[in-house]
Amino acid sequence: MADSHSSVQPNANATADGFADDQTLKYIGVGLSSLFALGVALLILYILATEVNYGLIPTILPQFIGAYGLVLGIVVTSSILSVTSGIFVGLARVSKTRLTSGISAAYVQFFRGTPLLFQIFVIYFGIPTLWPGLFPIQNWGLPTAIIALTLNHAAYVGEAVRGGIGAVHDGQMEAARSLGMGYIQAMREVVVPQAWRNALAAVGNDQIILVKDTSLLTVIAIPELIQQFRDVNSATFDPWTPIVLVAIAYLSITIPMGRLVEYLENRGDWGGDAR
Amino acid sequence: MTDGSLLEFEHVDKYFGDTHVLKDVSLDIANGEVCVVVGPSGSGKSTLLRCANRLEEIQAGEIRLDDRSISDPGADINRLRQRIGMVFQSFNLFPHKTALENVTLAPRKVRGVDDDTARERGVDLLAEVGLSDQAASYPSQLSGGQQQRVAIARALAMDPRVMLFDEVTSALDPELVGEVLGVMRSLADDGMTMMVVTHEMGFAREVADRVVLMDEGRIVETGAPTPFFERPDTDRGAQFLSKLF
Repeated sequence: MADSHSSVQPNANATADGFADDQTLKYIGVGLSSLFALGVALLILYILATEVNYGLIPTILPQFIGAYGLVLGIVVTSSILSVTSGIFVGLARVSKTRLTSGISAAYVQFFRGTPLLFQIFVIYFGIPTLWPGLFPIQNWGLPTAIIALTLNHAAYVGEAVRGGIGAVHDGQMEAARSLGMGYIQAMREVVVPQAWRNALAAVGNDQIILVKDTSLLTVIAIPELIQQFRDVNSATFDPWTPIVLVAIAYLSITIPMGRLVEYLENRGDWGGDAR
Repeated sequence: MTDGSLLEFEHVDKYFGDTHVLKDVSLDIANGEVCVVVGPSGSGKSTLLRCANRLEEIQAGEIRLDDRSISDPGADINRLRQRIGMVFQSFNLFPHKTALENVTLAPRKVRGVDDDTARERGVDLLAEVGLSDQAASYPSQLSGGQQQRVAIARALAMDPRVMLFDEVTSALDPELVGEVLGVMRSLADDGMTMMVVTHEMGFAREVADRVVLMDEGRIVETGAPTPFFERPDTDRGAQFLSKLF
């Protein structure tokens, strides 16, 4: 009896299927990830040492800095606009008025269901032809960029906000209403602050995607970062020098944004261990 | 106000879909009365309580506070609810607000009371429920009993005419029930009108002016606690009590 019992549990660390025990698994994980990191690091070092033409950098840097400023401007503007309108898309989505929630749902279906590139084309090429006579806006590219990014990302932010509101316990609204608050007041004071906290990670994720989506604007000749890559590459046949600059430019926006989201999440901790 | 009634239910009918959950329920709660509603789960007692501040709509009959209709579709429900304090089984404190902010939020935002006045009153109310030292704590940092006492203070901050208690001790660990019942008892002693749905028969017996037994959506027996618990009038009442003791 004692033997058969011990054969059921030969090793306290073994996984249920007997594949490997926890220690072995840990070593495999550490080994594989270190190997991968080492490979990437070597590749990057090799590129920096042999492929990058440092002499070219002073020549092309000004146009990259210009593009970087432009991308930052587009990101900040569309970010503010898309988050603000996304909150209203989310609020409309949870409305008890069928018409309001239906319109919001259709909006999300369209802008989430078609490619951003297509939406850029619709606005850039389609809209001006609808104008009777000559389209009055000369540089339609930049307005197109901001309108397309805003409309597209408001749909994603709206879905995140809807999910965040759904995760707030019904009792919160009841408690607020039972104190005499109206629906809008209860939403503003009680439900939305909690929903915002719930939605923050998803909204942050979406806004980081928005940064990268500016790369699509190259198709309507916005002089953003990818456009600079294409210019330099076609003039010099050197891919790696502009690649490095593009990578640094994007990461210097997206990594701090990730940090900002983490900071905001921790700030809404409400005494720790919330719910 | 006729015959001192404060909260009146008159021939109330309520359906959830096809289910008839309140059947011709009539009940008058007098000013200063503590009315305890008991009954088996699913008897409609919590629903009746929730109808009293229109968290649930009724399909027939009328509910009045101080002779003003609550159930009328045209009633200014936000105004009426300020006069009706509600305490929930699941506390429902606002997790993003401190204990004091929970208490002061509605007076400030609904009544427009200035911050200092609201704060002074909030500090007094937290002292009243024995939580002076927890004013700056968030709900997640409080025990269930403490959270429920903050919830009572929050409801009292609007100076309600009547307090509704919906199974407020059911979600608490047994050793925390006493502190909440203690606060309710002292409220009753101060003359607050209370409608209390509970399974705490000891509380019903000691604090209630009247006990109402509900079963299958009807009020089946009503009376002062001593006769109710010792000599129930109805078979249903006797049967309910026999399962308890």
